[in-house]
Amino acid sequence: MNWRLFYFLNSKEQEANMETIGADIVIQILREKGVDVIFGYPGANTLPIHDRLINSPVRHYLMRHEQAAAHAADGYARATGKVGVCIATSGPGATNLVTGIATAFMDSTPMVALTAQVSTSLLGHDAFQETDIIGITLPITKHSYQVHDVNNLAATLRQAFELATTGRPGPVLVDIPRDILSSKCQRAEKKAAPGLKTNYKTAEDSEQLEKIAKTLNQSERPILIIGGGVKLSNALHLIRELIEKAKIPFVTTMMGIGSVDSVNGYNLGLIGTHGNELANRMVHQCDFILAVGTRFSDRSTALIEEFAPLAKIAQIDIDPTSIGKSIKINLPYVGDIRDALTALLPLIDEKEKSDWLQRIQTEREAIAGKVVDTGCGQAGDFIHMLQEAMPVETTVTADVGLNQIWTVRTWQARSPRSLITSGGMGTMGFSLPAAIGAKVGTPERAVIAITGDGGFYMNIQELATISYYNLPIKIVVINNGHLGMIRQIQDLFYNARFTTIDLGSTVDFVAVARGFGIPGSRVAVDKDPKPGIEAMVKADGPYLLEAVVDPENYVYPIIPPGCSNIEMMYDRLD
Amino acid sequence: MLRKVREQEQTISILVNNQPGVLSRVGGVFGRHGYNIKSLCVAETTNPEVSRITLTSESDPDFTEKIKKQLDKLVDIIDVSDVSGQSYIQRELMLIGVTIKEGAYSEILRAIELFGCRIVTMTPDYFILELTGQPDETAAFLKFFQSFGVEEINRTGVIVLQRTRPKRNV
Repeated sequence: MNWRLFYFLNSKEQEANMETIGADIVIQILREKGVDVIFGYPGANTLPIHDRLINSPVRHYLMRHEQAAAHAADGYARATGKVGVCIATSGPGATNLVTGIATAFMDSTPMVALTAQVSTSLLGHDAFQETDIIGITLPITKHSYQVHDVNNLAATLRQAFELATTGRPGPVLVDIPRDILSSKCQRAEKKAAPGLKTNYKTAEDSEQLEKIAKTLNQSERPILIIGGGVKLSNALHLIRELIEKAKIPFVTTMMGIGSVDSVNGYNLGLIGTHGNELANRMVHQCDFILAVGTRFSDRSTALIEEFAPLAKIAQIDIDPTSIGKSIKINLPYVGDIRDALTALLPLIDEKEKSDWLQRIQTEREAIAGKVVDTGCGQAGDFIHMLQEAMPVETTVTADVGLNQIWTVRTWQARSPRSLITSGGMGTMGFSLPAAIGAKVGTPERAVIAITGDGGFYMNIQELATISYYNLPIKIVVINNGHLGMIRQIQDLFYNARFTTIDLGSTVDFVAVARGFGIPGSRVAVDKDPKPGIEAMVKADGPYLLEAVVDPENYVYPIIPPGCSNIEMMYDRLD
Repeated sequence: MLRKVREQEQTISILVNNQPGVLSRVGGVFGRHGYNIKSLCVAETTNPEVSRITLTSESDPDFTEKIKKQLDKLVDIIDVSDVSGQSYIQRELMLIGVTIKEGAYSEILRAIELFGCRIVTMTPDYFILELTGQPDETAAFLKFFQSFGVEEINRTGVIVLQRTRPKRNV
């Protein structure tokens, strides 16, 4: 008998003799919840789970850093609409997840983070690799559980999945001590998660919806604000129907981009501090706002006192704390967007083209004449070229900084889950691991990760993951040798006193990629970047394209700190 | 970030799952939103799986509504209610240690009678007094005895019950 066969038979025998332990319950519940992919990193305390993964159909992607595991789970969830799952060991493994969990929390991504913990007998002893991850993640999770009895493990995990995916989605952490993972137990019985409390109304509060419809019907200059909640509640066709029926122009928040095909005559663009001029101006002039699935974050509103001064505001959101948090709401409605819009639509009058739309058209033309380009300079043109070259069915992940604003302003998101970026948390280093999650979740789509040089450094080790699994991800590093957005802020608002922003030009990213086993090339956006783009698109596997851009290629217009949405700067002389 | 505090005492009663860590979740909500907890009392209810947290905070008028929404999001919270109004009985128990100065003896004894408080223990120069009352009574009591030299105080914080029979038994 050869050794390989011996080991195979031996392992089969072991398997047959294996008793059910806590780790099996974890895998049982993952399968029950339809999880076929998890992103993680093992450690001594996770080993019972990783051991039982061997014989399970759940695929485990071994990342090169736990932070990347959390971002990949986040990217997976955003790309697929399913819950993302990440796993890390106790202590540093768990704390490395924190940035990723916080990122998911701010953008309401459904995520279950599993952390192993030291054995219950060691809890509180400052044992090796012990950390109070429950305490650390209290403010950045929807809820967190530490399991103290293996008989509660299944119910706890089911509850975690239920909680992560219902109401306003978000990350839930389950911390499982090692002895619980290896305790013998019975397989969990099929039982639904206990119904968790919901504190939102269903669409039965028809009186308030009637008021909202009446105000919208009577308004002369209405605007719809689409936030990330529209995607999360899958209300996409309803929001399109609303736009068509009411002939209502819309703006989006960064999280709302793509909810409606960006190529749409009613689309005024992105609002907020890095938004489009047309969007900001029209919000300032409108007399009614219907805000759906947005919390009116400071990035969307800029100076809150001067936001939409003429408008009555109706807000629909599933999270009661998002309503009226920062701005006075005249017509609040707490509930699921899909239910609310379903009930609202029949109450909306069919409108004809209005003076308001005519006025918007006039403004649109005036602004188009004023700005010579998108306000993103050559970097914007470059991203436009990227989109032209990539298939229509492409998912783009954008990092944070100038590259994010260039991308969200230039890339025309044609479908709801096609543009993925860290909006609320603004996490540098997000785009590369998020692209891994997106590619694993939607292998049929092309995936392109856009990042700056600063953000690229923050999770550069994930090139190894991409290379190891041969994930055909296109990586575009827009390299200006600087922390570009911080540079722009120093340039404009700190009297060009530049400090701590120079990343230098000593690193050869193409050589770095080659070292990781990923081919690549370098282009300059002011020369002809097309051949490089073509090489990238043609490559079968992963490919890195380094695009060198002038550090003074900023983003305009920009709203200075403490100013309102219409006080836009077009250059440093403004 | 600390909010500008308008002197207005708010009392809320929170029913929670009686589990480890729940108090820190509740406390975290207050801290994150810049509210200071003035007094706090936690005890089991008739149902040992449920605890009641009664707390007071000096805050702006929006406080109760805002904090209620935030607390409602916590999984372990069963109910939050504003119990500042007239339809609730409020009580607090206070212990104070007072030094007795020469010649003040009879005045203190008179005050003890007047406030209806109890001497818990007594040495020739030091007593510990116990008073139960509504928050304004305990405040007046404390203010009075402060003129005699209060060495130490401890108080339970306000506890509250609805005046009439509750509709729902927990």
